[in-house]
Amino acid sequence: MRHHPFSLGGPLLWGLACSLGMAVCAGQTDSHAPEYGAAHGSARRNSYPPDQVEAGRAVFRQNCSFCHGRDATGGETGPDLTRSRLVTQDVDGDKIASVIRSGRADRGMPPFDLSADQINSLVAFIHTRVKNAAAAAGRGGNGGRKGVDPSDLQTGNADAGKRYFNGAGGCSACHSPAGDLAGVASRYQGLELEEQMLYPKNAKSKITVTLLSGQTIAGTLAYLDEFTIGLTDSSGMYRSWRTRDVHFTVDAPANAHVEQFSKYTDADIHNLMAYLQTLR
Amino acid sequence: MSFFSRSFFIFLIGVIAPTASLAQGADRQMLLRPPADSWPGYHGDYSGRRHSSLEQITPQNVKNLTLAWTFQTNLPALIKSSPLLVDGVVYFTVPENVWAVDARSGHQIWHYNHPTPEGEHIGNRGVAMYKQYLFFLLPDAHLVSLNCKDGSVRWTVQVADVKKGYWTSMAPLVVGNHVLLGVSGDFDNITGYIRSIDPETGATQWQWDSTPPAGTPNQTTGGMTWMGGTYDPDLNLVYWGTGNPTPVLNGSTRPGDDPYTCAIVALNPDTGTLVWSFQVSPHDTHDWDAVETPVLVDGDFRGEPKKMLMQTSRNGYFFVLDRTNGKSLLTVPYGPLNWSLGLDKQGRPIPNPAKEPAPDGRLIAPDEGGMTNFRSPSFDTKTGLFIVDAHPSWSIYFAKPADGLYGWAGADYDVWGKGVIEAIDYQTGKIRWTHELGPRGSGAGVLTTDSGLTFTGDALGNFLALDSRDGKTLWHAGSGSHIVSSPTTYELDGRQYILTSSGSVLYAWALPEAE
Repeated sequence: MRHHPFSLGGPLLWGLACSLGMAVCAGQTDSHAPEYGAAHGSARRNSYPPDQVEAGRAVFRQNCSFCHGRDATGGETGPDLTRSRLVTQDVDGDKIASVIRSGRADRGMPPFDLSADQINSLVAFIHTRVKNAAAAAGRGGNGGRKGVDPSDLQTGNADAGKRYFNGAGGCSACHSPAGDLAGVASRYQGLELEEQMLYPKNAKSKITVTLLSGQTIAGTLAYLDEFTIGLTDSSGMYRSWRTRDVHFTVDAPANAHVEQFSKYTDADIHNLMAYLQTLR
Repeated sequence: MSFFSRSFFIFLIGVIAPTASLAQGADRQMLLRPPADSWPGYHGDYSGRRHSSLEQITPQNVKNLTLAWTFQTNLPALIKSSPLLVDGVVYFTVPENVWAVDARSGHQIWHYNHPTPEGEHIGNRGVAMYKQYLFFLLPDAHLVSLNCKDGSVRWTVQVADVKKGYWTSMAPLVVGNHVLLGVSGDFDNITGYIRSIDPETGATQWQWDSTPPAGTPNQTTGGMTWMGGTYDPDLNLVYWGTGNPTPVLNGSTRPGDDPYTCAIVALNPDTGTLVWSFQVSPHDTHDWDAVETPVLVDGDFRGEPKKMLMQTSRNGYFFVLDRTNGKSLLTVPYGPLNWSLGLDKQGRPIPNPAKEPAPDGRLIAPDEGGMTNFRSPSFDTKTGLFIVDAHPSWSIYFAKPADGLYGWAGADYDVWGKGVIEAIDYQTGKIRWTHELGPRGSGAGVLTTDSGLTFTGDALGNFLALDSRDGKTLWHAGSGSHIVSSPTTYELDGRQYILTSSGSVLYAWALPEAE
C-alpha cells in the first residue's frame, strides 16, 4: 500500500531535517565526540581574557550569528549553543574547533576557513556566553533568551499524571514505566525530559519498501522527500529508491505525539512531567 | 560609401544602442509598472503579490526547465535576499555584501563588501533601487548608497544606534523620492520606526515611531519594522507591518493592546502621517510580529469590488482588510492555533491570558517562528488563490519573574513543526489545496505566474514548480542546501528566467534555448 510521503505529518527525523536546527538535535546526535560523563563534561569552565572574548564576539557576529543568533542563543536555522551538549562537553575548543573547521554537512553547517586565533577567540566567546547565560538569568542585564530550570517544572501532580498516562493520554498504549521508560528521569532531566516527552525528536521510524518484483525490504527510515526514499537495512547499508518506483509504508510511532498536541491541557503536561520524574 | 563613413556608422551603433538600454536605472515608471525584463523592487511591483504575467514557462513545458547559470558567493551566509533585476543586471545581497551579476550569464560585474563587527548578521533581504542608485542596509544600522554601474559608495548615513540594540537587515522600499526603511531589534526595550531618507542626499525626511520612547510608564516598546512594505499609488498609502512588543514574552509592564505593535499600518509616504492601523495581535506575548507581506489585491469580495490588503500573519490568522480604511473583511486561522479566545468586533484576535508564557510552561500553537514568517506568499491573480508557505507547529513558552523585564524576558522552545503550501480562497479563508513540504518546515517563499505555475521549495532543499490549480508537483530540482528566499522571474532576449537561491548559491532556470 503506497502512502503519500507527507501524509504522515512529517514528524520524523530525517537527514536534513535535523540540520534545520534544535539544541537537542545538535547535542544528542553527536556520535563522533568521545563520551564524557556528566560530572566530567560539565566540570571544567575556564575563564578567558576579555580581549579574546571580545574578538570572538566580532568573529561570531560576522560568521555565526546568522544561524546561531545573537550571543549564541540560537537563531533561525542554528541551535542555541549555550544549551548544546557538544559545547558543554568541549574543553578549550577540543570539540568546537573541529566542528568550525569541518562544518556539519549533514546539518547544513558549512566549514569555516578561520585562523587558529579566530577559532580560539570563538571558543572563548562561546564558553563565556554559556557561563553568562546562566549567570544573567534574573539580572535583567542580558536581553537574550532565558533558561528553564528543573525546579520550574515541578508544579504538576504525579498521581494525576499517572492516571493520564494510563487513561486519557493513551501513553500506555506504547510506553511502560517498567519497560522503555524505566529510568527515563535519570537519562533526561528538566526541560530536556519535557521536550522528549512532548515529542521525541530522535525517535526512529520503521519502513517497509515493496519493489515492483514483489520483494520487500525493511529497515530504518533514513531519508524521505517527495521524490526519494532511503532506508538503512539490517546490515547497516543505506539503500534508496525513487518514490514513484516502489510502494512503501512508514511506521512512525512518534506521530502519536503530534496527535496529542491539540488534546493536552497545560495541566496534563505538568502532571505527566511530575509522573515521569518519578521514573528514576 | 567610403570606408570611413561605414566605420563611423558601426561605431555609432556600438556606442549608442547599449547606452540607450543601460542608462535608465529604476525610474518611477519602472517601479510603478515593471516591464517584463525587470524586477525592480523586493516583490517585483509595489503590490506584494509576487505574481508575474510571464507565460513562456508553462505547466506543460516546465518539466524541461534547466539551469541557465548559477552564481556562488563562496561565503557561508545563506542568501535570504530577493534579487533585483534592472537593465540586465541582477543585484542581490547577504549581510555586508552586495553583488551585481549579469542576468544572462551569471558572471560577476562587481562586488561590494563592507565588513562590520557591529550589529546582528542574521540576514539581509536585498537592495532597493532609485534611478542608478542602490540602497543597502548594513548590520551596524547604516544605510549605504551605491552607484549601480560599479558599486562605488555615494554616501553612508547612520539610521539607528547599534549600541542601543538596533541593527538593520531589510530591503528598503523606494516610493517617489523617498527611500523608506525599517529597523531590527528584539533583545532590548527600544522603539521601532520607519524612516524616510532622501535618495539624493541621504538626509532624513521624516520618521514614524511605532511605540513611545523607552521608559514611558505602562507603555510598550518594540514594534520593529523588520521588512519592507507595499504601496498603493492611487491611494498614495504605504502599508507596513510592525513587530512584536518588548519585553517580548512578558507583558506585565505593558498592559493593554500595545499599539502600534504587531499591526499593519497605513502611512502617507510623503509625510509619514499615520492614516489607519489594524492590530493583528493585540498584547502579543509570543514574538509574533506582523511584518509578513501586506499583499494588495483589487477584486470582488463577496460580490462587492474592494481594494483589499491580505496578510497571512505569523500568529496563525489570515486577514483581509479594506485597505482604504483598515476595516476587517475577514479573519480566519490558516492552521492550528490555541492562544486566542476568538475575535473582537473589529475582527482582531482576543489573546487568552491563560496562554501567556508562564514559569512552568505553556503549550502554544504556532511556535515562535509562526505559521509563516518573512518568506513571501503570492497572490495568484488567475485563480484568486493566496498561496503561502505555512508552518503548522507547536512549542512551549516560559516566563518567570527571575527572567526580568528586559528584552526577551523568557524562553521558548520549538516542539514540532512541518511545512505545507496552502492555497487559500481569500473570500472565505477555505484552503483549496495543500502541498506538504516536509518536517520542520521550509524557508522558501512563493512566486506565481500567469501561465498557472507556483514556484517554491520544500524543507529538504528541493526547488518545486507546482500546478497553481491543484498544487501537484510538475518539476523539481534538489538544491543541496536550505532554501530561505523567495523566487523571482524576468524575461531577457525573449527567454523567461526563474531565479531561486539555496545556501550561498543563486540559480537561474530557463527552458532550453532553441537551436
